[in-house]
Amino acid sequence: MTPRLGVAVKKLAVYSILITICLIVFIPLLITLFASFKTSMEIGSEFSLKPPASFDFDNYGVVLDKGKFLQGFGNSMFLVAVSVVINSLIGTMTAYAINRFDFRLKKIILGLFVAGMIMPGMITEISRFTVIKNLGLYNTIWAPILIYAAANLVQLYIYTQFINGIPKELDESAMLDGCSYFTVFNKMIFPLLLPATATLGIIKAVDVMNDMYVPYLYMPSSSLRTLTTTLMYFSSSKFGSWDYLSAAIILVMLPTLLIYLLFSKYIFKGIVAGAVKG
Amino acid sequence: MRTISMQRNILLFSFLFLPVLLLLMFVLYPLFELIRLSFTDWNGMDAKQVYIGFDNYIKMFTDSSDVWLSLRNNGFYFIFHFLMIPLELAIAVVLDSKIRASKFFKTIVFMPYIINGVAISYMFAFFYSPINGGLNGILEVLGLESLIQNWLTNESIVNLSLVFVSIWRFSGFHVILFLAGLQAIPQDQFEAAKIDGASSTQNFWYIIVPGVKKVLEVLLFLNVVGALQVFDIPYIMTQGGPGHASSTFTLYTLETAFKFNNFGMASAMGITMLVLIIVLNSVQKRLFNLKGVDEE
Repeated sequence: MTPRLGVAVKKLAVYSILITICLIVFIPLLITLFASFKTSMEIGSEFSLKPPASFDFDNYGVVLDKGKFLQGFGNSMFLVAVSVVINSLIGTMTAYAINRFDFRLKKIILGLFVAGMIMPGMITEISRFTVIKNLGLYNTIWAPILIYAAANLVQLYIYTQFINGIPKELDESAMLDGCSYFTVFNKMIFPLLLPATATLGIIKAVDVMNDMYVPYLYMPSSSLRTLTTTLMYFSSSKFGSWDYLSAAIILVMLPTLLIYLLFSKYIFKGIVAGAVKG
Repeated sequence: MRTISMQRNILLFSFLFLPVLLLLMFVLYPLFELIRLSFTDWNGMDAKQVYIGFDNYIKMFTDSSDVWLSLRNNGFYFIFHFLMIPLELAIAVVLDSKIRASKFFKTIVFMPYIINGVAISYMFAFFYSPINGGLNGILEVLGLESLIQNWLTNESIVNLSLVFVSIWRFSGFHVILFLAGLQAIPQDQFEAAKIDGASSTQNFWYIIVPGVKKVLEVLLFLNVVGALQVFDIPYIMTQGGPGHASSTFTLYTLETAFKFNNFGMASAMGITMLVLIIVLNSVQKRLFNLKGVDEE
């Protein structure tokens, strides 16, 4: 084989692998997307990868009308907004305190953070459940908010790395100019950490929006359903046939997909920083 | 000076109070409480909790074969995800090389990880469905009718069907992690190797594998934790059925607590899972170091 032919064969192999992967990713998605525009009859009689005859949104209309998905979307958005704000405040403040100061108990507190990071939440679910119940927060929107605030301290690691990149001399010269620690944090550290906050906020938003476990377990009330749990209840309702359910599945997928396509750069950065450098 | 140190203490207190309180309430206290509860027969509602020693632990492994069955199913997820690792690394290497549209492929490969897991589970329930399901339809068109199955109700393949969903969802994430590891390898290592006339196989074993060792470690850890915690895919697609054929340890634990109101037993199962994670992870780490992946 001439070298040139070898390169060509190699290229062919590479692209066929990549295209196979794309097919594996897209086929189930396409089938669901197509089904969301078909009637029950068409789903039963047509090949699943045959595009729908027309793109009418009847199924979506029924889903939005009967499924309370807008309410679910509202609840999810509320959880996302509050969690992202709380997380960015707690994350930056903790990173500042831990990175810039030495104090008694620092080691113990750090150990606590690491324990919280390593231990999967599901393990302590049973006892965490009783904590929430005893606080009187069961079946309120504050249960997931507190749990999300306590969870995922990976974020702290990322913040600490970013704050490490801010020279300490900056703090010191600001202090010499008469700034208090609080001013240093408000006027300097917090703004300089905004790129990290953007990355982490987007990741947190995706996490919260996709979470099923916490809202399902802690907020059974129908008015508190998130986008995810709304889908779960919808599937077991009398509208849970594949035509409507497909439309509901696509609706629930859309928000995070949209975030992903808009902000994929940030998402890659944050995921990678959290897992590799953490 | 005094005001500065006072300021400092106020800052530390006010900045750390909330996060530490949250950790104590939702991580540390639950852990101790879980250990305590695992020695009781608490049903989750009554005030009455009787200490029964190790009864829960003994019962868990002797009374019920479903626990073992569930654990075995977790094993499926562990093994298949483990076997995927070399392929994932290979895909990352391909994406890292200079190919056209690598950004497009990267976006596609990672996409499933971002999509809502519950929506994915329903999507695949539809895909596998015996009535009008996509997979059987495709097999029919391809002339492979003999392969048509009840993917989710046949006891001997239901776990494989579910594992595939898990792989569909998480493999892209692993690829992206490997890709990050690859991109962190200094380019001059490859240049030096080129000058020395290294083959691409040598490149792979002596530069790439050591270069992604850190990622590999993280991945192996995530695989243990992830495989033991599989929950939403089987819960939504099969409810652990038929029977307990596709149940997993977490699913079984939550059923024990919230369906059968046996919080004591469920706590013992939680502790068992924690121990399993610690043991499996350290065994795995040792095995890999023996194999000399960390030649540096």
